[in-house]
Amino acid sequence: MSRIMTVWLPRWPVQRRLLERPELRRQPVFVCRRERRGVMTVVAWAWAAPPRREGSSVPLSGGASLSRTSLSGIQPGMSLAEAMAVLSLTHGSRACHIAEVDQDDPVADLTSLEKVARYCRRFAPLVAIEKPSQHGHGGPECLQIDVTGTAGFFGGEGPLVRTVVWTLATRGIHARAAIADTPAAAWAAARHTDSLHAALATAGAQSRQHRDGLRKRHCRWAVVPPGAHLQALAELPATALRLDTIAATQLRDVGIETIGGIARLPRKSLASRFEPQLLQRLTEFIGERPEPLVVPCSGELPTASLAFDFPLLLRDTTQDDLVAVIERLLHDCVTPLVAKGEGVMSLQVRLERSQSAAPREACPPAIIDIGVFQPSSSAKHLTELIKLRMARMRMPREIEGITMEVVSVGKAECRQRTLFGEAAETSAAQVVMLMDRLSGRLGRGAVFEPRPVVDAQPEHAWAAVPPAAHGMKSRSKPAIKRPQRGGGRENSPEVHRTASMAAPQRRPIWLLPRPVRLETVSVVGSAADQVNASSGPPVQFYSGDQRHEIVKAHGPERIETAWWRGPTVRRDYYVVETSTGGRYWIFRQRRGEWFLHGTFS
Amino acid sequence: MVTQVREQVREQVLGQVLSQVREYMGSAGGLLRQDSGWRQAEGGGRETVATGFSTLDRLLPAGGVRRGSLIEWLAGGDAASADAGGAITLACAVACRLATSRAQAVASQATTIVVVDRGQRFYPPAVLPWLESQSDVAAKGGRMPQLMVARPSRDDDEIWAIDQALRCPGVAAVLAWPGRVHSTAMRRWQLATRTSGAVGLLVRGFPGRLQAGEQTWADAKVAVSPVAGGDSAADPAVRRLRLSLAGGPWSGDEMLKERSAELLLDLTNGRESTRRHRLPGWPGTLSAAGRLQGGRFPLEEATCRAS
Repeated sequence: MSRIMTVWLPRWPVQRRLLERPELRRQPVFVCRRERRGVMTVVAWAWAAPPRREGSSVPLSGGASLSRTSLSGIQPGMSLAEAMAVLSLTHGSRACHIAEVDQDDPVADLTSLEKVARYCRRFAPLVAIEKPSQHGHGGPECLQIDVTGTAGFFGGEGPLVRTVVWTLATRGIHARAAIADTPAAAWAAARHTDSLHAALATAGAQSRQHRDGLRKRHCRWAVVPPGAHLQALAELPATALRLDTIAATQLRDVGIETIGGIARLPRKSLASRFEPQLLQRLTEFIGERPEPLVVPCSGELPTASLAFDFPLLLRDTTQDDLVAVIERLLHDCVTPLVAKGEGVMSLQVRLERSQSAAPREACPPAIIDIGVFQPSSSAKHLTELIKLRMARMRMPREIEGITMEVVSVGKAECRQRTLFGEAAETSAAQVVMLMDRLSGRLGRGAVFEPRPVVDAQPEHAWAAVPPAAHGMKSRSKPAIKRPQRGGGRENSPEVHRTASMAAPQRRPIWLLPRPVRLETVSVVGSAADQVNASSGPPVQFYSGDQRHEIVKAHGPERIETAWWRGPTVRRDYYVVETSTGGRYWIFRQRRGEWFLHGTFS
Repeated sequence: MVTQVREQVREQVLGQVLSQVREYMGSAGGLLRQDSGWRQAEGGGRETVATGFSTLDRLLPAGGVRRGSLIEWLAGGDAASADAGGAITLACAVACRLATSRAQAVASQATTIVVVDRGQRFYPPAVLPWLESQSDVAAKGGRMPQLMVARPSRDDDEIWAIDQALRCPGVAAVLAWPGRVHSTAMRRWQLATRTSGAVGLLVRGFPGRLQAGEQTWADAKVAVSPVAGGDSAADPAVRRLRLSLAGGPWSGDEMLKERSAELLLDLTNGRESTRRHRLPGWPGTLSAAGRLQGGRFPLEEATCRAS
């Protein structure tokens, strides 16, 4: 019996945009399609990090909002005007002002989904993308993975499905996953992992492995026991069969709302009483009719693999030997790309482990993921990155083979080649290679290029941008503009300069990650001064056990902003100079407490 | 016939010259070694770039910073305020000048500054305006200066990151504030700068002071300490710093007359301040008794951008 895992990436068009532009998490994002007569229809929408309500630590609609389809009453297919009206009712009219509206781009969505599918080949060799529905509003959002026989490598189906969800989560992708006997059943289970808790418990999931996927706290995954999917999923709504609107309406008219209700109807009369699609979907769900998995074949990227005659003990192998093999495979992968003028953007090397050992030692392949900031066709550079990663990972004891797969490619920069050997690297290319090396060891997020952001709050006045974002070519780097009230559509550079660089001399070169509360000594003339908020800076302050005597102070610079991010920030900043010559950046909150925020180091 | 005679004469002359050289300096290999020794002693014939701070240039024996060298900035002053003394600010300003100087941008194309930020405290908005205000070379065909930040989370990662950045020929300057550095690591950094031409600016001295016997391979050590008070520092946009040459091979020159100097750093553009007069910057001054002389602090610049 086959076992299929469906990975649902809810609201993929929005998620893709959030991955490309993380700053969009703070604002509502609508992906719209322009219909005839100029009407904009909402395809997907989400607000990943909405503001917190005053006095509570729970966001209005938290991170899980990506998977709730009917949040705040906005449905796919609604017109943009209606959606905005609903949004302003639930979140206030200011939410509409900061909303980001983007045009639908199904091709880019599918391309990036294929990229995720290639990434998921680490879990099983056959990864397909669901067929787009003919009557639906959006494109495909699910991956279907044939996990028959591969779950043992991950310690069972429960750990496998959990690993998939968390691995994608570490890459910033919100996913839900379920395993069942047929693709249709897995699809239905993945879409309703929330409500499956009670259903699966009554279906008699006895083994620990299956109960594992049922904990209510972690309802992002589900494992439907083999052979029991019809009973376990009987209570799911009929729409979980991927029915179109007409078939769903017909069922609702006769009062049938669940999959179990459809299954109880006499099978012979189904085709004549309802749309033919219903019978097809039901038989696919039960497993009487096979549903082929369609593996994406557009733009197949090069792969290369080498299987050793017998398992290779890494203890007896020097790293140079292994690197020589990897270099050969890399050459096979890069050569076809160079002919097309392309370079590698990300690459996966799998060191396949031996399966001949005891079953409990069977483990998934050791995987090396390589990502670069600019497409690279230099095998030498990529080998260096792989070596860096190998030096810091725990290598398996023995390996059976090496598989190399190019996950994504990009247009490579054309350079004049010399007569002998490769072209001399330009200094810009060398800086990109340096960034690749640094991020390979320090982590992808630990290397960045800072850019000014138009935001009054000092912590948010800059953003970390990956070095590839401008391709090292752009001449001018405009400041990122956070949306402000009154529409954020205009994009004039003058606004950025005046707003973000109002007083650079007042900004310290070291900013503490969090402001540190200070104990201060103030001199006040009268009791009225104590109450008055503008009574000046303190005379002394203590940081740790050090006492600092203030001799000069400049300010205040009042910053009052960020009501849309939560409680309003209201601070009076002072640049103070101590008797020993040190300069500090301190502020007073509205209630009179003093904080140290930065040092002019 | 004539050609043969000429070749004979030429070989004769060459033989004489070589024998004279051997008499004078030993073998030809010795000559080469001697040459490299001279070059190393003189800074390897490396190009000297003006830092843009005339006070600092006068202090440094080379009249500026040589490409491919390491400079240590020792955060001096009182122990309580060693981390607020302005050493990083000055080093950052020098890095910006190195990346944006015309010779650097047009000739060597090395215009990238790498900040290795251990501790995750570096605040780029203080520096980005300096780069923008100084990037006049970009309009004339050079590359835009570029600021990159690497945030290692461990000590060995930090040392490795500095080494990698110093090795890259596209990097103009590397700014870092490492803790204790082993002598071997620093020697490796020095050799890396020699091959790439990058300048390493290492700010040392906090949070713990430098160890007494710690060996350094820096070409120059400049102690930076803030000057407290005084009328000349009345402008909040100007930082008054005292620099003194504290060690390193560059300071071994006995002919060096000036060993310490004061520098006014303009924080608005990262250049040396030319303001001579007192500006109405500090509204209030506290006397020794701790009483406010200037009275109430007016809310002079309210940046209320809420709406």
